[in-house]
Amino acid sequence: MAKPSPYLLVSYAQTNRILPEPYQRAVVGILVAAILLLPAFSGDYFLHLMNLCLIAVIGAIGLNLLTGYCGQLSLGQASFMAIGAFSTAILAQRYGMPFFVAIPASCCAGALVGFLVGLPALRFRGIYLAITTLAMHYAIIYVLTNYQAIVGPSASAGITVPPPSIGGFLLTSERGWYYALLIAAAAVLMFSLNLARSYIGRAWVAIRDRDIAAEATGVNVPRYKLLAFTVSAALAALAGSLGAYFTTVVTVEEYTLELAIIYLAMIIVGGMGSIVGSVLGAVFITLLPYAVQRGFDALPWHFGTTIFGVQQAAIGAAIIGFLLFEPDGLIEIYRRIATYFERWPFRYREIKASSAR
Amino acid sequence: MELLVSILALGSTYALLAAGIVIIYKASRVINFAHGELAIVGAYVFHSAGFLTGTTLTALSLATSIVVAAAASAFFGVAIYLALMRRLLGRPTFVAAMVTIGLAIILKAAIVVIWNSRSVGIPIGRQAVYNFAGGGRITWIDVISVLTCVAAFTALAIFFQLTRLGRQFRGAAENPLLAAQRQVNINLILAIAWGVAVFSAALAGVLFGSRSMLSPQSTIIGLSGLTAALVGGLDSLRGAAIGGVLVAAATYLTARLISPTLAETVPFLILLAVMSWRPWGLFGTVEEINRV
Repeated sequence: MAKPSPYLLVSYAQTNRILPEPYQRAVVGILVAAILLLPAFSGDYFLHLMNLCLIAVIGAIGLNLLTGYCGQLSLGQASFMAIGAFSTAILAQRYGMPFFVAIPASCCAGALVGFLVGLPALRFRGIYLAITTLAMHYAIIYVLTNYQAIVGPSASAGITVPPPSIGGFLLTSERGWYYALLIAAAAVLMFSLNLARSYIGRAWVAIRDRDIAAEATGVNVPRYKLLAFTVSAALAALAGSLGAYFTTVVTVEEYTLELAIIYLAMIIVGGMGSIVGSVLGAVFITLLPYAVQRGFDALPWHFGTTIFGVQQAAIGAAIIGFLLFEPDGLIEIYRRIATYFERWPFRYREIKASSAR
Repeated sequence: MELLVSILALGSTYALLAAGIVIIYKASRVINFAHGELAIVGAYVFHSAGFLTGTTLTALSLATSIVVAAAASAFFGVAIYLALMRRLLGRPTFVAAMVTIGLAIILKAAIVVIWNSRSVGIPIGRQAVYNFAGGGRITWIDVISVLTCVAAFTALAIFFQLTRLGRQFRGAAENPLLAAQRQVNINLILAIAWGVAVFSAALAGVLFGSRSMLSPQSTIIGLSGLTAALVGGLDSLRGAAIGGVLVAAATYLTARLISPTLAETVPFLILLAVMSWRPWGLFGTVEEINRV
């Protein structure tokens, strides 16, 4: 019997595969091996950057589920992260809770706040929703500012978080953190990829594309919008919580509107509505300031302290550049390249279909 | 009495900001998140231009400042439209709004790079016009703020109601397709909208800077202006004026009566209240705001 064409899909399960092509599985295998072996070849500084990237990946995936998949534009990501970070700080520092209690509890706190923020947001779409979440951000940050003033040693000092111990192993080295965060990020990645191709993810995409049509086909729109807010906020809280443990100190000043915008930048640059895209965007935006610094260090003249401004401007330029010239983000560039090689030597332009990835 | 003057003076700054946001929203249904940044950068330009003619503050340097800042801001507004916003026509409006967020980051970074995040003040009109018996006073800048605001709103009202271009503007705002078919130059209208809006933002920034010190953090006034615009209704100039005064009053009274830290959050609490009660604002058109 002749071998069936690999492009002929005969079941829904096949259309929903995460890695349909054999070469993709090979590429992912090589990537995983490279990521696992990375600490053997790199110093602490580079691992530190990687750890920051991994935390950002978790937060960016959370935001992409809400904004990219469900189409709910949110500027509240920083406040959700702040909720996670503060819950962790309180549980770990004041009540001495272990790592494996503080993290899930923080996620639950984030999910609860996300649910509450989502409630009034049910009334709004698009830019009005962004303004509402912006106001929510400031309200939450105000509460946390006051809380920090009461709980912390002083109004501005922040709350210190003890290093977590996992199975008697104290997590302090960059290498230890790298593997811990890698496990967390991989778990979030798998969870989100599967969520996105399940009924829930498809319901979100339906709401994003046309919520009236989604309702007509039987999607419970308010429930799934709220679910998107809840899941997204829980993941953001996870990122905030891990970030709190990683930086060992929690201050409310860290969670500004700029941070929320930076997360928005990650999913714009990476690709709205793409889980893998949010990984690419998170790495790109996290490393961009360091790359800018490196670039300017090589130049004969120096910016001094204003280098901070150049770094910020680079992020702004990345947002504008991608929105104007590559609205589907880095993932679209990857798809174009992949399609080119897949179809080679033929030139073939794929009709654009919404993809689950 | 002194409180009332302060509220009116701050309110006129917010009203000018709100006017700019309203003009852009009316013309293109885009919410400009970079308005505070545009205002503060305008004020910095005003401040720096004063030193072009010498190091001391004279009538000549003041005139230079006014001319340079006015020309630069109007030009910059048109440039934003031509370089960025024109490419986004026909795309969803929230994309344009996100582009303004990117613009906001760049402008704020420009303050850091060009002016080294220096905190500057614009020392004009600090002298008292009138001293109250209780110790308070009205300064020149209070009077100038209110007068500028009134003049700007009158000019805008005349422009929209009486001139041919203003009527075309309103037509384009209501139905761009029909207006374009009646040979209204939509590109011109939108470029003017951005020019006027950025000019009014710079005006507000200068008034703000003559009252308190400018720093990269002052860009937050853009959000107060946005709140003012939303309170009044995003497509109503009259609403912008009233919204500005209302937001200023709420901020000021909270700072005086309850706590200064809460006052920073007050605009956002108002925002939440307005969004849940009347999302279209006090004077805005009741449109299906869900549809974006």
